[in-house]
Amino acid sequence: MKHMAVVTLVGSAFAYLAMPATGAEMTGKEVFDHYCSYCHGSGDGPGTMQLGRSRGRDKALLTERTDLTPEYIKFIVRHGLRSMPPFVPSDLTDAKLKSLAGFLAK
Amino acid sequence: MAEPLPPGVNAKRMADALERFRRVVGDDWVFTGERVASYHDPYTIPNDPMRYKAHAAVAPASTEQVQEIVSVANDLRVPLWTVSRGKNFAYGGAAPVLSGSVVLDLSRMNRILEVNEKFGYALIEPGVSYFDLYRHIQDRGLKLWLDVPDPGWGSIVGNALDHGVGYTPYGDHFMMQCGMEVVLADGKVVRTGMGAMPGNSTWQLFKYGFGPYVDGLFSQSNFGIVTKMGIWLMPEPSGYRPYLITFPREEDIEQVVEIVRPLRLNNVIQNAATIRSLVLDAALFTTKSRYYSGEGPIPDSVAKQIMADQEIGMWNFCGAMYGPPAITDALWAAIRDSFASIPGAKFYAPEDRKRQADILRHRADTMRGIPKLTEFGFLNWNGGGGHVGFSPVSPTTGEDAMKQFRMVSGRVREYGFDYMGLMAIGFRELHHVTVIVYDQTDPKERDKLNELFRLLVREAAAEGYGEYRTHIHYMDTIAGTYSWNNNALMNMHQKIKDALDPNGILSPGKSGIWPRHMRDGTKT
Repeated sequence: MKHMAVVTLVGSAFAYLAMPATGAEMTGKEVFDHYCSYCHGSGDGPGTMQLGRSRGRDKALLTERTDLTPEYIKFIVRHGLRSMPPFVPSDLTDAKLKSLAGFLAK
Repeated sequence: MAEPLPPGVNAKRMADALERFRRVVGDDWVFTGERVASYHDPYTIPNDPMRYKAHAAVAPASTEQVQEIVSVANDLRVPLWTVSRGKNFAYGGAAPVLSGSVVLDLSRMNRILEVNEKFGYALIEPGVSYFDLYRHIQDRGLKLWLDVPDPGWGSIVGNALDHGVGYTPYGDHFMMQCGMEVVLADGKVVRTGMGAMPGNSTWQLFKYGFGPYVDGLFSQSNFGIVTKMGIWLMPEPSGYRPYLITFPREEDIEQVVEIVRPLRLNNVIQNAATIRSLVLDAALFTTKSRYYSGEGPIPDSVAKQIMADQEIGMWNFCGAMYGPPAITDALWAAIRDSFASIPGAKFYAPEDRKRQADILRHRADTMRGIPKLTEFGFLNWNGGGGHVGFSPVSPTTGEDAMKQFRMVSGRVREYGFDYMGLMAIGFRELHHVTVIVYDQTDPKERDKLNELFRLLVREAAAEGYGEYRTHIHYMDTIAGTYSWNNNALMNMHQKIKDALDPNGILSPGKSGIWPRHMRDGTKT
C-alpha cells in the first residue's frame, strides 16, 4: 500500500538529509561551493560585484585573495557585512566554518 | 551588550529554560552570548539596538524535539520565535518581534522525506532550502521543476508560509502547498487535510480533507509550528520559451497592465510573470555611481542612458511559455500581437541579448525553477546594504497600477531614494513590491526610511491598498490597517491565539497577533 510506503519514508533512514548534520566531513572548498559560491564564486555574483566596487577589482574574488585571516572570515560569516547577511551556526556550523576559513585564508 | 530578557522572565528562569533546552537538543545546538549575533536582523531599521534582539537560539533536529522544547517553554513561560531557515531578510531575517525571545531555529530539520515524480510533489521539513531540493532533483534526474523566489537559500516551507511568490506557473507558493504536520503550543502534533486520516494515501494530493480547512491558520501566524509540508512540483514541460518585452515610458504601465489582465486570466500568460522598473533591473548588474554622482534619485537623462546601455526599458515584462512548440508558438503570437500596440515596445528572446550578465538570461533561469542569489545584486546599487519591501496588493487594472506607481514612486523619490519596483502578476491581482535600498549604517537614513515607510502604509490604506507581507518592524502597523468592522478579524485571531496558545509562548507579535497578557502595551 502506498500509505505504508509513505509512513516508512517519513519515519526512517530512507529520508534524505539535505546536508550533513555538522559538516565536519566537508572540505573548505565544499563549504565554499555550497554556501558562498552563489554570491562570491564568479565575476557577476552580487558579493564579487560588491567587493570589486568597495575594495577594488584585485580584491573582488574571495578565492584569489591572500589578505584574509581565519579570524576575519569567521567574524564576517557570523556577523555579516553591509549587504551580506550573517550565517547561523545551526546551518553553517562551527566545523564547516573552520574548514571554510582554512580554505580562504591561504 | 547583554542579550535582553523577555517581559516577565528573569535571568534565573531563562537560564533554567536554556539548560532544559540543552538536555533536549544537546549543548552544541543552544546558542547564547556572542553566538546569537547571527540571529539579529541584518538590515535593521530602528536605531534602538535592543529592539528585535533574541536572547538565545535553539535548533532542534526532529518533531519530537520541537514538542519537548514547546513543553519547556510552556512550563517556564519563555517565548519562542520560530524560523524555518531565517533567510527572510527583507522582512527581519531570523530576528523576533519580541526582544528576549528564544529563536526556535528549524534549520537542522532539513530532511527531504519524499519526492514523488509520478504525482509531482515533495514532502519536506522546514530546513530544506530551494538549493537543497533542486540539487536533490537534479542528482536523481527527476523530471520535476521547482518554483523559486529570488533567494535560493531560503526555506521552501518558510516562504510558502509567508505567502511568497515565484516565477513559474506554480508561482503562488501557498496555493501549491498540500498537507502539513504542525506542533501545537500544547505539544500535540496534528496533520492537516488527508493526513488526519489513518491509512490514507492522498496527504500530498488533496488539500482539503474533511471539515474546516485549517492550513491557512498556520501561515503568517503564531498558532503552531509547521514541521512538515507537502509542496507540489511542476512536471518538466516538453518545451520552454522565456521572453522579455521592454517599454520605454513610465506611463506605459497603465496600458501594459490592461493588456496583461485578460491574457493572465485566460492563461495565455501561463506563469507568475513580473513587470519590473528600470532601476530594479539595472541594479542587478551595474551601480548607481557608474551613472550618477549627484544627490537623490537619478534624473530622467540618466535613466535614458541606463536604458540604452543595458538594453532595457522603463518597464520590463519578463514571462515564459511552457509546452510543446505548437502551443508556445500560438501563445507567443497572441502575446506579441497584444503588446505590439504599445509604441516603442521591444521583444527579446535570450539569444537576442548581447550581455552575459543580463536580466533575461537571469530570469530565464528563475522562470524554470533554477534557484539563485543573483537578484541581490540590486543591493550594490548604492552600496548601502539595507533593503526593505513595501508590498501592497492592487487589482490588475491599468488605472490601479498607474495610481500605485505614482503614489509610491513619488514618495520614494521625494525622500531621496530611487524607485525600484515590480508588479508580480497574480491571476486577478498585482503584488506591487517596491524595494527601498538604504544605507543601514547611517542612523539618519534609517529614520528617514522609517518615516517614509509609515507614510506609504498610511497613504496606501487610505486608498484601500493593503500589504500582503511585511518586515517585523511594521507588523502591528499593517495589521492595524485590516480593521474592517471594528477590527473584527484581529479579534478573531486573538480568540484563536488564546485558545491554541493560552500562555502566549509561540512567536508573540507575529503579524500583529499578541498573547492576551501582552495586549496592554507591556510587550516592549
